[in-house]
Amino acid sequence: MGRVARALLRVVVPVLSILGLWYAAILLSGLPAFVIPRPERVLQTLVTERRFITVHLLETLKAAALGFVLANAVGIGLAALFVAVPAGRQVVMPVAITLRNVPYVALVTVLVLAFGDTLGSKVAIVVLAGFFPVLVNTYRGLLAADRVVLDRMRILSASGAETFLYVRLPYALPFIVSAQEITGSGSIIVAIAAEWMISSSGLGYVINRAMQQYRGDQVYAVALLAAVLSFVIYTVVHVVGRRLDWQAPPEARA
Amino acid sequence: MSVPISIRGVSRRFGAALALDAVDLEVAAAELVALVGPSGCGKTTLLRIVADLETPSTGEVRVGADGPAVARRQRLFGLVSQRPAVLPWKRAVDDVAFTQRVARRAGFPARDLLREFGLGGHEDKRPHQLSGGMVQRVNIASAIAHDPQVLLMDEPFSALDEMKREELGEWFGRTLLDRPKTVLFVTHHIDEAVMLADRVLVFSPAPGRVLDVVRVPAPRPREREFRRDPRFVETAAHIRQLLFGRAEALAPAAR
Repeated sequence: MGRVARALLRVVVPVLSILGLWYAAILLSGLPAFVIPRPERVLQTLVTERRFITVHLLETLKAAALGFVLANAVGIGLAALFVAVPAGRQVVMPVAITLRNVPYVALVTVLVLAFGDTLGSKVAIVVLAGFFPVLVNTYRGLLAADRVVLDRMRILSASGAETFLYVRLPYALPFIVSAQEITGSGSIIVAIAAEWMISSSGLGYVINRAMQQYRGDQVYAVALLAAVLSFVIYTVVHVVGRRLDWQAPPEARA
Repeated sequence: MSVPISIRGVSRRFGAALALDAVDLEVAAAELVALVGPSGCGKTTLLRIVADLETPSTGEVRVGADGPAVARRQRLFGLVSQRPAVLPWKRAVDDVAFTQRVARRAGFPARDLLREFGLGGHEDKRPHQLSGGMVQRVNIASAIAHDPQVLLMDEPFSALDEMKREELGEWFGRTLLDRPKTVLFVTHHIDEAVMLADRVLVFSPAPGRVLDVVRVPAPRPREREFRRDPRFVETAAHIRQLLFGRAEALAPAAR
């Protein structure tokens, strides 16, 4: 298939279908414009209110990016600890699983009571929601190192740090990258959800406010923006991941 | 440079199962001893005990003057496994250099070594771009890159097809001429053992006991014609007899 045909299939067809469904929903449902605004109205809002939206977008991005980085630090750090000190896994893993299964609404409430409506609270929520896939995938990846290569390192009397850096970590890299596909785009969504619940800044707050003011166009504008952002992050992670993945055949790495 | 290895009364238990039963073996410096025996007889376990990858339940191993742990820390060992221990993301030349970096020893210049191993023009390729035989050559180059005194080889050519195995075996025999090393060579190919080894240690089925240590009465390295030499045929037949008993011994030897 040619490049043009493929681009057509991957971009133009989905966009047209979404627009078609959107208009069909407006016509068939008969819902008022503040519940389903027309696409052109949403785009217009994106343009005319770009300064207002940009301010809050940057707030959301700040929380999502910080949370994303910290989620990785926590996830990869804990996984490394589990490999170095297997007993650490017995201690930490039940706590991690419990934390992960506490409803986020409860966590958010506790965090807001403790720290108020701050960047710290938002970041903490993003970290709590995002570290687990990184932890599980990284741990699995670190254990995926080939036994014969580990024997080779031992025969050469390699230090623990050398074995970790030069063998375990590269073997884990494809696993770590695939975790980013979840945690990366998830960070944006979780940051928005946290803002929706607690904050007076960020895209989540904009949605909340727009709802109260019957501004369907604003809700849709933010949703569109968030979807595009998540998609961009996912694509970046995917492309970077393919380049890093030594398991993939070379032609897939281009 | 090479050192002698002394194995005295080495046994190894895994739970209730006895894998190795009181193995004695004295290997001279620069000698090549092949270990043959049925699957599960403990020959790989013995190799791993010498390499300090496992510990014996009883008995003692000396590599030169020291135990395996000291020898390992002095980086006296090179290990060649059946499945290549090359790093999938490294170019051949980097893989060889990696051994030298980790072992903190210059050894042989990486590119020269690969060229000498018949990998000229392939130095910058990664494992998935090379054939199985070539990857195993890179694996051996990486195992000896730091010029270790002892080479421990665990069925290094078993994953290759018959032709490649013979070819690489002969090539490996010649390679040792320039850099004599004490070699323990685990294999389940009797012919390969007789082609390569000074002596062949024949194991019984599990628990591994030494049935006999057979000397191959011909100097190394040996060329392809040696396979038709009466000394080769007789030695191989003798080993088959030890392993299978007399009735089956004659048939494969007459092939």
